[in-house]
Amino acid sequence: MEKDCKNILEVKNIEVVYDNVILALHNVSLKVPQGKIVALLGANGAGKSTTLKSISTMLASERGKVTKGSINYDDKVINNQTPSEMVGFGMVQVLEGRRCFGHLTVEENIIAGAYSRKLSRGDLNQELEKIYSYFKRLKERRKSQAGFTSGGEQQMVAVARAMMTKPKMLLLDEPSMGLAPQLVAEIFNIVKMLNEKEGVSILLAEQNTNIALKNSDYGYIIETGNVMLEGSAKSLLGNDKVKELYLGISKGKRLNFRDAVKDNEKKINKAH
Amino acid sequence: MTDSILFFFEVFVGGLLSGTMYSLVALGFVLIYKASSTFNFAQGAMVFFAVLSFCGFMEYGMPFGVAFFAVVLLMILVGLLTERLVLRPLMNQSEDTILMATIGLGFVLEGIAQAKWGVEVRKLSLGIGDFPIPWIADNLKLFISALDLTAGLVAFGMILLLTLLFKYTKIGLGLRAVADDPGAASSIGIPLKHIMLLVWSAAGVVALVAGMMWGARAGVQFALIELALKALPVLIIGGFSSIPGAIVGGLLVGAVEKVLEVYIGPYFKGGIEAWAPYMLSILFLLYRPEGLFGEKIIRRV
Repeated sequence: MEKDCKNILEVKNIEVVYDNVILALHNVSLKVPQGKIVALLGANGAGKSTTLKSISTMLASERGKVTKGSINYDDKVINNQTPSEMVGFGMVQVLEGRRCFGHLTVEENIIAGAYSRKLSRGDLNQELEKIYSYFKRLKERRKSQAGFTSGGEQQMVAVARAMMTKPKMLLLDEPSMGLAPQLVAEIFNIVKMLNEKEGVSILLAEQNTNIALKNSDYGYIIETGNVMLEGSAKSLLGNDKVKELYLGISKGKRLNFRDAVKDNEKKINKAH
Repeated sequence: MTDSILFFFEVFVGGLLSGTMYSLVALGFVLIYKASSTFNFAQGAMVFFAVLSFCGFMEYGMPFGVAFFAVVLLMILVGLLTERLVLRPLMNQSEDTILMATIGLGFVLEGIAQAKWGVEVRKLSLGIGDFPIPWIADNLKLFISALDLTAGLVAFGMILLLTLLFKYTKIGLGLRAVADDPGAASSIGIPLKHIMLLVWSAAGVVALVAGMMWGARAGVQFALIELALKALPVLIIGGFSSIPGAIVGGLLVGAVEKVLEVYIGPYFKGGIEAWAPYMLSILFLLYRPEGLFGEKIIRRV
């Protein structure tokens, strides 16, 4: 990471507790430099979604609370803001599981993204056209009810809808979930294009380590609520541990996750 | 022969028109159901509260229009306070919690209305008689009450207005988005509190109009709250989340209960009207639980 690059987001040592008792994050720190894509990687339940929700302040709606540490976004301390205030500051989260408005048409879904902005009819149409230029597939399906479109299209609707808020910072929660590899590649291409052409900074949570790192600049790996490893995307892709545990490649041959863990346990036992 | 057909027609049309009164009440329920996915048990109390306040303001000597406007403002205030004091503290709680809160809210509104305006039955005159319109009676030989016809027209007007509001305005789009997924709606910056305020105020105004129609027919009294429960079969038949559903459901309930009362009622020694709609709603629950116009549950597998 270049030193002179300004960080749009800085998360410092946050701890998150749900329902006042369940400790979900122990100690997570991360930085997103302006205009970069940063990947947040880890298995199910590692705390990726919780981290994103504490940043977007969606946490409160699930009775979660940041109990320690601080979040700084765009020179503001994020504390008790509401999600709609955050959208006003240019931060938007695409929630896990797409969450389209199923009974609205694709186009209505996208227009709903512009709710917080005061746009004239003409400006709105212009914005729509711009969005459709990235999501060509959605233009064909603009009149379909979103609930009846395919999973990939719904994920595109969710991202397009979020882009309509004109964000400076986009939080993506598992865009690859439940999608065919081809569609995952298509969506990551679009995300990359949005980053390059619209200059939006992106923090994305993913289980699909391989594709996430290939499309990011920097990566953090979290496990049980702690950051275990961080580094540039290239260095992580080349890292032996990451290869073993997250990419399923070990000593040149492919291993599944369970074998990799077993190998690790053996090593630990030997060390004892 | 023509006489009996004419008679059936008269019963049927009379039923349809009185059904629009149910539609008006049901409309208030639908509005709130759309935004909070809850059956608002306070809707009956809101009807009572609104129309009793209207009568009270008239007794203070306010002219009709001024009193109407004052109650509209009052109902917006009720919506504002409900959002601030009941809904906002309960935000992110389950729908059942909010359902229970509406029961409590109902008691509070009933209590305030009666404490302020007293418990006696009031007459409300809208200047529209509850008797057959002579012109129609003479020319078509149909006896249709002027009040029924007015209620029908008013209901139709309100539905048109609300449908346009939801379909073509920005806040309407916001409301539909919230109705589908409140979490996703707030994630893209749609402020839930504005939507709640809008919906509760609109439900308040609808309650006032419904209360005025019912009050003119049956007197402004506590029983209005029970009458509002007739909206339940209307909603089951029409679909909880659909405005056209509330209308068609109301018409259907009105027509069916009148026709059954007149033709089958005598075999049961009358009184069918009181339970026929509920029987019909049980049939709907068995065979078409989402109602006639309810939104089908879309789920990808």
